[in-house]
Amino acid sequence: MAGAVTYYAGRAPERGLAVYTQKVGMWVFLASEVMFFTSLIGSYIILRFGASETWPLPGEVLNIPVTAINTFILICSSVTMVKAFAAAEVGDKRGTRLFTLATALIGSTFLGVQILEYRELLHEGFGPSSGLYGSTFYTMTGFHGFHVFSGVCCLFWASWKAFRGGYDNRAYKGLEVLGLYWHFVDLVWIILFTVVYLI
Amino acid sequence: MESTETAHEHPGGQAMAGDEAGHEESHAHPRYMLVWLWLALLTVAEVAIVWFAFLPRVWIVVMLLFMAVWKALLVALYFMHLRFEPRRVALLAASPLPLAVLLILAVMMEYR
Amino acid sequence: MATIVAEPTGRPVVREPHELSFIRKYIFSSDHKVIGIQFLFLSLFFLLAGGLLAMMIRWQLAWPGQPMPLGSLFPETMAPDGIMLPEFYNSLVTMHGTFMIFFAVMLLLVGVFANYLIPLQIGAPDMAFPRINMASFWVAVPAGLIALASFLVEGGAAGAGWTSYAPLSAMPEASGVSLGQQMWIVSLVLLGLSSILGSTNYITTVINMRAPGMTWMRLPLTVWALFITAILALLSMPVLTGAMIMLLFDQTIGTHFFLPAEGGQPLLWQHLFWFFGHPEVYVLILPAMGFTSEILANGSRKPVFGYHAMVGALVSIAVLGFMVWGHHMFQSGMNPLLATSFMVSTMVIAVPSAIKTFNWMGTMWRGNLHFHTPMLFAIGFVMLFVIGGLSGIFMASAPFDIFIHDTYFIVAHIHYVLFGGALFGIFAAIYYWFPKMFGRMMNEKLGKVHFALTFLFFNLVFFPMHTQGLAGMMRRLYQTTGYEHLEGLQWTHVLITISAFGLFLSGMLFAVNFAWSLFRGPKAPANPWNATTLEWQTPSPPMHGNWEEVPVVYHGPHEYSHPDVADKDWLAQNERPDVVSPARP
Repeated sequence: MAGAVTYYAGRAPERGLAVYTQKVGMWVFLASEVMFFTSLIGSYIILRFGASETWPLPGEVLNIPVTAINTFILICSSVTMVKAFAAAEVGDKRGTRLFTLATALIGSTFLGVQILEYRELLHEGFGPSSGLYGSTFYTMTGFHGFHVFSGVCCLFWASWKAFRGGYDNRAYKGLEVLGLYWHFVDLVWIILFTVVYLI
Repeated sequence: MESTETAHEHPGGQAMAGDEAGHEESHAHPRYMLVWLWLALLTVAEVAIVWFAFLPRVWIVVMLLFMAVWKALLVALYFMHLRFEPRRVALLAASPLPLAVLLILAVMMEYR
Repeated sequence: MATIVAEPTGRPVVREPHELSFIRKYIFSSDHKVIGIQFLFLSLFFLLAGGLLAMMIRWQLAWPGQPMPLGSLFPETMAPDGIMLPEFYNSLVTMHGTFMIFFAVMLLLVGVFANYLIPLQIGAPDMAFPRINMASFWVAVPAGLIALASFLVEGGAAGAGWTSYAPLSAMPEASGVSLGQQMWIVSLVLLGLSSILGSTNYITTVINMRAPGMTWMRLPLTVWALFITAILALLSMPVLTGAMIMLLFDQTIGTHFFLPAEGGQPLLWQHLFWFFGHPEVYVLILPAMGFTSEILANGSRKPVFGYHAMVGALVSIAVLGFMVWGHHMFQSGMNPLLATSFMVSTMVIAVPSAIKTFNWMGTMWRGNLHFHTPMLFAIGFVMLFVIGGLSGIFMASAPFDIFIHDTYFIVAHIHYVLFGGALFGIFAAIYYWFPKMFGRMMNEKLGKVHFALTFLFFNLVFFPMHTQGLAGMMRRLYQTTGYEHLEGLQWTHVLITISAFGLFLSGMLFAVNFAWSLFRGPKAPANPWNATTLEWQTPSPPMHGNWEEVPVVYHGPHEYSHPDVADKDWLAQNERPDVVSPARP
């Protein structure tokens, strides 16, 4: 009899992924972001694969050194982001403030360099309608830039919150979740830099 | 240094035990500056390969892709803490990747 | 009886201390139940709008070139003297598909029921992210408004079909529609955003917010289906969004993604679209399968036959669903190796689908059948899904698919799965959960008449389309006259159109029943169907926060006619084992 009905017998309830909800939510959202960038980067790979003879070689159109430095800038912002989280986790409010604001500023620098790059390219006559290369380049980097922009907005908001003492060793989840997003954007750029600028 | 909550948030912490960064205080925090150094070095190496290109193009592409994946993994495993999360989170994070590969490879077959 | 080792106590639900203002309570509400009901009204409106467009399409097919009734209401650019223009017909076909697929069926299944049922069935007080949930509704509203408004702009609404194949959709000079097509894109990008926000919420909620004791294998099949659906939408919608953005750029800022003259690839659009489109098909059917499983168990007073197999079938349909998108493109001249692999993977989907069908029959087999309206619609779902599923297997075969490609055979198939399947599941679900949503019962007699008429007219409308398709009737054809091979078919068009009007009117019967029951229906008890799942163990409608205290789950989801229980034929999931009266002492 007892075997037929499965009784709850004091077992701890399943705790899902044993990870707090906001973090699960962000990972789920990032999974969909992966598919979004797949459609953009994938289209680039496919279109380029089909027209590989006519595709310009790396460095012919785009400025590799400037973008390499910009890549380095974005990587630095990832480090400051993770430092901000680490500081919040141990309750170092000064470090949290400093590193969050630094991340926001470095992220803005990246955007600024990208805008200058766009201006330069447009000035040279390389626009979104300049063949498949222009179409794919502006769409991919543009949407990445949009993601950076959204991240920077959130980061300035987080800095404001940090300056008001909103993060400490009990309340650091927001920073970790925002950090996940920010590192993801960095990760996408790492792929984009290789696939678009170097290959 | 490490609150009880930190231990709670990193239930997969034992995955760290055997690896080279397994110090007591870096249980939850790997050496971020070391990862940063690696990322910077790999970026320099990538650009260097393109500039001093005398190898066949296929090799360059393969090496570049290899380094890009390496960098991406460094970011995902250490900055995004995937290495210290339960394995199911890593599975969740990796779930779209086969679909992405399938989409790109299938459509590329149209050119064969 | 087994002894309970440790009695977990339910946590009290945290409630808002103050009364919410009208706006926060009913308009910008973050309560999942209110959002679900908001989605219900939005999507029923679009169901009606899509139905009206279909009636106009049917008029043109049965009596081409004749003025429509009330046709004089339309402006010169759509239907001069009530006779519709070919361009307007294209817009009608496109927007009928768009409204029905994206705004009616998808929102009904995912927006309404995922929102309403997931927290209630897993025993959570609300969604994981209530405010993101609210955002997902308030992004869907402008999406719908933009789609509606596109009829009014110069050039009319989008006319390149709901699939919007490039280059037609990317070249305004070819289709004659410029702004309408762009509004269509913006509308669907917004809807995609809404869907991604919603799916993120549903997945996180199911993973992390289940009540104590609600293990994965105690989840009701509805929740399983909605969970898998959310994963499908989460991973396929962004691909459509990306493709849509490229299409928009092709039209507006002069990129060349899909324009062959500049080296672009029209086939790339098809691949991206169907990489989204096929998982989307399962987004539209899996939740209906979940409702059906649950309602069939309730109406048969038996547990779902083969619960684990049902879950396995859901998961494998989802996985396979991502690998079959090319079967929509056999006609595109694709790589034969690719076509063969798509053909095989598509046929494999028949296996989990058949598992589900046989398990539904196994659920009903020798059950104590109660033919209440939801049960009737659920049985109708199974019957019509079998027909739609079988014609789907025909199409999976590339040689046959090339023969029937873009004919009415396809139209018949899609309506058998999306109307006969998804919409019958939705009707079943609305009749079933209406008492929980509004605290009133729907009229049972009207419901049964609605079912009988819908079932009859549905088959009269869509079954002859198979024959029409085999006889060469082309999809999206404006003028049926003037083709020698179609002349003998004209009487079937008239038959179908008259039946379609009947179908529309029986839909109106539902609308009347719905509206009347909303205000005048008899008050519903907490558990009118003697059902086992958690949402029935709280008042109808549930209060804000859903529970007095968070329920603790002891049993599987569909424990009907349990041999250990004496006084009733159902065992609620949260019933404490020590208070159930045992059948044998």
